[in-house]
Amino acid sequence: MDFSGAFTSDNLLFLLEGFYVTLKVAFISIVFSFIIGGLVGTLRFAKIPLLSKVLAVIVELVRNLPLLLIILFTYFALPELGINLSITVSAIVALTIFESAMLAEIVRGGLNSIPKGQMEAARSSGLSYVQALRLIILPQALRRMVPNLVSQFISLLKDTSLAVVIALPELLHNAKIIQAQHPSYVIPIFLIISLMYFVVNYALSLVAKRLELKHA
Amino acid sequence: MIAFEQVNKFYGDFHVLKDINLTIQDGEVVVVIGPSGSGKSTLLRCINGLETTSDGVLKVKNIQVNEKKTDINKLRRNIGMVFQHFNLYPHKTVLENITLAPINVLKQSAEEAKKTAMYYLEKVGIPDKASSFPSQLSGGQQQRVAIARGLAMKPEIMLFDEPTSALDPEMVGEVLDVMKALAKEGMTMVVVTHEMGFAKEVGDRIVFMDQGRILEEEMPVEFFENPKEERAKVFLSRILNH
Ligand SMILES: Nc1ncnc2c1ncn2[C@@H]1O[C@H](COP(=O)(O)OP(=O)(O)OP(=O)(O)O)[C@@H](O)[C@H]1O
Ligand SMILES: [Mg+2]
Repeated sequence: MDFSGAFTSDNLLFLLEGFYVTLKVAFISIVFSFIIGGLVGTLRFAKIPLLSKVLAVIVELVRNLPLLLIILFTYFALPELGINLSITVSAIVALTIFESAMLAEIVRGGLNSIPKGQMEAARSSGLSYVQALRLIILPQALRRMVPNLVSQFISLLKDTSLAVVIALPELLHNAKIIQAQHPSYVIPIFLIISLMYFVVNYALSLVAKRLELKHA
Repeated sequence: MIAFEQVNKFYGDFHVLKDINLTIQDGEVVVVIGPSGSGKSTLLRCINGLETTSDGVLKVKNIQVNEKKTDINKLRRNIGMVFQHFNLYPHKTVLENITLAPINVLKQSAEEAKKTAMYYLEKVGIPDKASSFPSQLSGGQQQRVAIARGLAMKPEIMLFDEPTSALDPEMVGEVLDVMKALAKEGMTMVVVTHEMGFAKEVGDRIVFMDQGRILEEEMPVEFFENPKEERAKVFLSRILNH
């Protein structure tokens, strides 16, 4: 088999364009889901009477659905409800919903892992609940969460490829287009996109290790 | 200053505090003793609202602790608490541990808070540890930092829940010395402890609890030499023969 044609600059550029979309969608989703997941996880931890229960139900529901289903839902079902989102926005919304639920659990677990005595000492000194959370509990919990957060971010980056089903022009999508035109490039194309995913995700996990060591 | 009137507390069906009546005056040092599970910690933790009472009236400085209207955070500024396991903030230096509440609750300037913190670190004998992290200190040093942290809020009342129970024996003395000095300066103190020497030396009153009830309330001399309740006698013989 002749692969040489697979590595033309046109093909590589096209794949890089796709990877750029992957990174962009993943990054935007990470930012939103970090905010939403952080908030939801904290509210669940705070055991606010009705709210925490409602959030628990929503989080469990989302966590137990396949991400693929959520992506299909935001793209195909929401328009039926009068909400029309572009492909990119659909993908971001779906990823954000799913990852927020995952992160909420990580955040809640991290907060729960801080010994009760920390909150008691903080409250005893006259700090309000919110102050105690902000100054004492969250900073400690965040440090413990770093490895889990990073591995969730890595998952998210990989999961972005599921948006291929709604034709988001991300890495996998563009790879498939090249393959459709040149079936013989399957293996080299797979190698290239694997390398792209690997480099970024591995770099992220190295960063996570660094952070862990620093806080240990 | 601290007044329990017919206070009861339940954990679900479990009756932890039974008909508690207890008045503690300004400047008094009250030592609470009793077997494990008798409700000593619960009694102490009701005073600063870490636990809620189920019925009866509990007033601190004439303010009802368990009232919706009561600003519990404000009340707590006046009540320092020292825990068995220190509960220092591990991500903050010793100095930050001590200045955190004065800065965030009393809105002191960083400089002012630091000055106060250094004064109390001096007082508990470890000014050189100001920039250490709690994990770098011995247990005795950590507990002295915890006391300094409580004192930095300039409270009128200090609560101690078995402050020396988690310490190696050779470090108990250094913490008790700080507490004795505090007692002699006239701090109002409620101390749960098994340190009978401390109770005899600086206690104004011993409160003996068993199964959620206060069974005896006596001057230390009287209590140790002439305990009235059978259960107090048994408890004392057990603890003193150790
Ligand atoms: N959150 C809780 N829920 C249910 N029961 C509790 C709770 N906290 C304490 N108890 C029970 O209340 C009783 C009194 O507890 P408390 O901690 O006040 O005892 P204590 O006298 O301080 O004992 P120790 O000497 O072991 O510290 C114990 O039987 C304990 O099991
Ligand atoms: Mg106790």
